[in-house]
Amino acid sequence: MKSFWIYYQKEMTEASRTYKWIWVPAIFLLLGIMQPVSTYYLPEILSMAGEVPPEAAALFTVPSAESVMASTLGQFNIIGLLVLVLAGMNTVAGERSTGTAELVLARSVSTIPMMTAKWAAMITLMVVSFALGLGGAAYYTYQLIGPLDWAAVTGGAGLYAVWLAWIVTLLLPLGAILRGPAAAFISLAVAGALSLLSSLLPSHVQWSPGRLGGMAAEQILGSGSISWSPILVAILIMAVSIIVAARLLRRSPLSPQS
Amino acid sequence: MTNKLLSIHELTKNIGSITPVKGISFELQRGSCTALLGPNGAGKTTTLRMLAGLIPQTRGEIRYGSGNAHTKDWRNRIGYLPQYPKFYSWMSGMEYLSFSAKLSGLSGREAVKRSRDVIEMVGLEQAAKRRISGYSGGMKQRLGIAQALVHEPELIMLDEPVSALDPIGRREVMDLLYRLRGEVTVLFSTHVLHDAEEICDDMVLMVDGEIAEKGSLSELRTKYRQPVLTIEVEPGEREIAWLDSLASRPYVHEIELGKRGAKLMVTDMAAARTALIKELADSGIELLRFEAGTSSLEDMFMKVVSS
Amino acid sequence: MDININWGLIWPIIALQAILAVTGFISLYKAEPASIRGSKWMWVFIILLGNILGSVAYFVAGRREA
Repeated sequence: MKSFWIYYQKEMTEASRTYKWIWVPAIFLLLGIMQPVSTYYLPEILSMAGEVPPEAAALFTVPSAESVMASTLGQFNIIGLLVLVLAGMNTVAGERSTGTAELVLARSVSTIPMMTAKWAAMITLMVVSFALGLGGAAYYTYQLIGPLDWAAVTGGAGLYAVWLAWIVTLLLPLGAILRGPAAAFISLAVAGALSLLSSLLPSHVQWSPGRLGGMAAEQILGSGSISWSPILVAILIMAVSIIVAARLLRRSPLSPQS
Repeated sequence: MTNKLLSIHELTKNIGSITPVKGISFELQRGSCTALLGPNGAGKTTTLRMLAGLIPQTRGEIRYGSGNAHTKDWRNRIGYLPQYPKFYSWMSGMEYLSFSAKLSGLSGREAVKRSRDVIEMVGLEQAAKRRISGYSGGMKQRLGIAQALVHEPELIMLDEPVSALDPIGRREVMDLLYRLRGEVTVLFSTHVLHDAEEICDDMVLMVDGEIAEKGSLSELRTKYRQPVLTIEVEPGEREIAWLDSLASRPYVHEIELGKRGAKLMVTDMAAARTALIKELADSGIELLRFEAGTSSLEDMFMKVVSS
Repeated sequence: MDININWGLIWPIIALQAILAVTGFISLYKAEPASIRGSKWMWVFIILLGNILGSVAYFVAGRREA
């Protein structure tokens, strides 16, 4: 437990010295704010651009507060997830490719505390950034568009956080065998594939963690119910990923290139 | 009374189809300084990595202390410096040392105190608060030695600690190692015999994953001190033929033929000298140089390594 | 046509973009030239012209590890 805290502290300091604690939250906040703002001012933007006659722009109706929030999640799904994965891709892969793992592993009997600390630090950054982003979106939506069902938003946010968490966790075992960019690409591909699969064959993959993103949006829109199996599968994936990553790192602490 | 700190027995490592370490055995005495000597590719790094617990051995035994110590305890009693130590460049030297010390089980306060001590010992106190990204090669190597010492280990293992350094950095690190002798047991690998002779008392010579020779340097020097006669002649057919014929003389133990001379390991220097001088005078061989001396460890090292 | 923009809600967007760019510049300024991929000036332009994505590109790909 003590070594967990030593590593966690190291990971958090590293993230702030490499400015991750500034740019990742800043991007999430920007994404969150811009969605309601651009939706609200869309008629003005369109008419200023002069591509749409003013009468058509006037016909444009501002969507409901709930749907603005749901489309914010869509933004997080594209740019937000990419940013998180890119920010986290070298958490393990970087230690191997730069060789810093060798000295650290010579001092550690078990790699589990180290891996758990890496996971916890990644999740801390993710939760804070996502909470800021979604909080910003909710505040702006409330100011510009209208009231929200806070319980539904919180529920959706929780589901969405689990969705983001299991994808970034994949970076740990992938980083223990691959270089950072390759690990990033594969984890995004897995997320995309599972997400696509559950929208194409919803009845076949009830348990798929790929459903979590969609479930979160439905939750905010006030439709659909929470099913627990994707959440449990996501938690299982995270636990297994951490253990497998710890094992793999112990077996090959250095990438072949170094 | 045995004062063994580490003994390894039949240590073997297979990596795929190759076997970089082939069943080696040796012991380290507490307080000794041992050089693990050998050419590149001899299996030195693999051996040290197994001893540091970074990679598991395929076969064989590593016993620490009197025997029943658990693997778990050892890591905190060993300091390890890899050949190319890599640090978190965003940390300062001081931060890295106390991070390392804490990982090895020191409390926060002890870690800071020990880090100050070792950073002073390696002469980096001026740079203690600077980011490691700005350190030179020699500074990084000294920081590496500092991190190997910070948790007061009984044994430090250094993999080629000076081979990547320029002459000044090399001098700094060698002096530092010399000062550590006696305080802590040292095992360091090198491919340079001279480095081993400079600071160590014992050596283990590895070639091709096996131990070719081991023992104290003074013992080995005596063992390999053999009378040697060096003869150099004018290059001529008759002279060369004569040199070739020397191999069959009863007092010649071994001969190394060069282009215009020969090195003779002889069994009896007095007899060899008398006989050869007489022969030279009688035959009228055009002699350039005739020298009696002894072979050194260097000769043995070169021979073992190049065979 | 009346454009009624609530600037109180808009300025945080501008401020956040400025924070991103300035953080990038500070990081570039403090970094050893050898630890940057490509030249520092190239990244200054990318951050300025590339907006949010320029900053992201710099933070992700601009610095070499160790």
